[in-house]
Amino acid sequence: MTLLWENIRLALFSLKANKMRALLTMLGIIIGIGSVIAIMTVGDSLTGTLTNTMAGLGANNITVYLNMTDENSDNGSIVKDSDFITKDMLVDLSETFDDKITAISLEQQIGSGKAVDGNLNASISISGTSLGYFLLNDTKLLDGRFFSTHETETGSKVCLVSDKLVENMFESDNSKAIGSTISCEVNGKNIDFTVIGVYEYTNSFSSFGITAGKNVRTSVYVPLRCATSLTHSDTFTQFGVMTVSGINPDDFVKEIKSFFSSKYYLKNNRVYIDAYSMASIVESMSDMMNKLTLGISVIAGIALLVGGIGVMNIMLVSITERTREIGTRKALGAPNSSIRVQFIVESIVICVIGGIIGIILGCLLGIFAANLLDCPASPSVRGIILSITFSMAIGIFFGYYPANKAAKMDPIEALRYE
Amino acid sequence: MEAKERKPIITLRDIRKNFFIGTPNELHVLKGINLDVYEGEFVAIVGQSGSGKSTLMNIIGALDRPTSGEYTLDGVDVISAKDSELSGIRNQKIGFVFQTYNLISKTNAIRNVEMPMLYGGVPRKARAERAEELLTLVGMEERMKHLPEELSGGQKQRVAIARAMANDPAIILADEPTGALDSATGRLVMDIFHKLHKEQGKTIVLITHSPELAEETERMITLKDGEIISERKGASS
Ligand SMILES: Nc1ncnc2c1ncn2[C@@H]1O[C@H](COP(=O)(O)OP(=O)(O)O)[C@@H](O)[C@H]1O
Ligand SMILES: [Mg+2]
Repeated sequence: MTLLWENIRLALFSLKANKMRALLTMLGIIIGIGSVIAIMTVGDSLTGTLTNTMAGLGANNITVYLNMTDENSDNGSIVKDSDFITKDMLVDLSETFDDKITAISLEQQIGSGKAVDGNLNASISISGTSLGYFLLNDTKLLDGRFFSTHETETGSKVCLVSDKLVENMFESDNSKAIGSTISCEVNGKNIDFTVIGVYEYTNSFSSFGITAGKNVRTSVYVPLRCATSLTHSDTFTQFGVMTVSGINPDDFVKEIKSFFSSKYYLKNNRVYIDAYSMASIVESMSDMMNKLTLGISVIAGIALLVGGIGVMNIMLVSITERTREIGTRKALGAPNSSIRVQFIVESIVICVIGGIIGIILGCLLGIFAANLLDCPASPSVRGIILSITFSMAIGIFFGYYPANKAAKMDPIEALRYE
Repeated sequence: MEAKERKPIITLRDIRKNFFIGTPNELHVLKGINLDVYEGEFVAIVGQSGSGKSTLMNIIGALDRPTSGEYTLDGVDVISAKDSELSGIRNQKIGFVFQTYNLISKTNAIRNVEMPMLYGGVPRKARAERAEELLTLVGMEERMKHLPEELSGGQKQRVAIARAMANDPAIILADEPTGALDSATGRLVMDIFHKLHKEQGKTIVLITHSPELAEETERMITLKDGEIISERKGASS
């Protein structure tokens, strides 16, 4: 035990004596460990955000949309009005699968522009939504209420606004916002809506990478019927399905597709109905993440290998420089094993210090990158433990040969070395 | 003194050492050395450069093995000892003092003195106490925390002597310990050896070039071409 401490102390001394050399030697280890830690930090943070998003959107949610057939996109013919998804189809779908569908989410975008109240304004985009939309997107109501049945059926000029809009236009006072009328300037027209509720703005899944500023464009939700009467269109290109929990979303995706293709789009060669589940999106995202991690790990592995060889090289130099010291230690009665341990410890110390520097830099880089992606990040403890262990392993592996060479030196020749 | 009844520390019988430098040339460096060194003796080995003094010293110090011959050190048969046992023998029974001091650099005096005890498994506290005691004995109590780089030649050699004494070895082997020092400093170092011999009863084998220093010892052995050519007994001291 005392010998081990003595060895660590000695190793630190010899590093201190050659700071620049030690740093250069550690560079490979620093880069290798640093990139592993950075990617793990970003990866953990993305996975965490994905999981949260998944929980928010619900893994059982399915998006159904109108897609053009290959022939159509090739010959460029236009999608006809009759190709769109109609309300009747949706009613039919809900009735056919009423044991599997909890809600259907519909959204029709009216346009984007500005909400104005006096001389205050906020960027908005207006869309008409069904109540199912809020269910599917897990919209959190902070104040007020959602649309009433009456408002839904008649398409009243009422709206839900985001807390960001309230912050910009009503001094963050929800009660001040609710009941007031905002004038929305959309596509050149001014329409007045009465605010009935405030929802919590969330950075949506699709807006990764766009940092949420103060004046971010947020949605104003109005009843779907209000939107359809404004746009004079009662058809849709896509909708969301919230399924009963416990069913296999991938199987249900197939059922929905065959429902539409056999019943409504059988003779249609321009378009067809496609669908995907949130679960499959999350799956492919994490699949992509895993591939990225693997790619960076390979690079990190190469850096570590090069770093390890660098450590071995510097250990060989160090041993040659200290040949007389080795001879002296042997003359004083050091067994070969303790010479070997001395140099392996030195090699481990180099690698672990390199590893620690790498961990610190990697954490900083990872947190920085995760912040750019707007995901909360914390250093991966698993990664840190793994890195320290790995650094030690590199130290042992690449330090063994030089250490063994030192241990096997002939004491007389070592003492004579000039 | 009952000189004849003293216990032999070193018994060398017909020690030969050959070096092979290329197949046809075999260098006979030691040609049958017979030597007994008794407990408490102070022996000087002299001889021309290349006469085999260091080679003999390395064999006595268990750093090297003879090509043939018998060697018993403090009751231990060194010839039949395994390599792994030799390091223990060096650690416990032998204290080396080199011409070039060979202190471990970047390691202060006290830690240098502690080193043989470290390998000998002496507990930390006992190690520090013993090292302090020895540094005081060689007059280096003021320089215990100094690095070798900060010490003069004579001071380094005194630290090296303290280090050689660390595990209270059966014998101190000094290979031209004053060879790199001026005569005044060499005198000082030599006085320390006399002190260890007289006050602690240490057995010392000293290789030297200086006839005056050799004269001061109890016994002087002269080597020539790998053979002992003369032996003077009964020293002036
Ligand atoms: N490892 C070796 N290989 C070949 N010759 C050696 C070796 N070691 C010593 N010698 C030779 O042995 C002879 C005695 O050397 P040494 O014992 O160092 O003499 P001294 O210490 O008396 O000056 C010298 O001729 C030297 O060249
Ligand atoms: Mg010599």
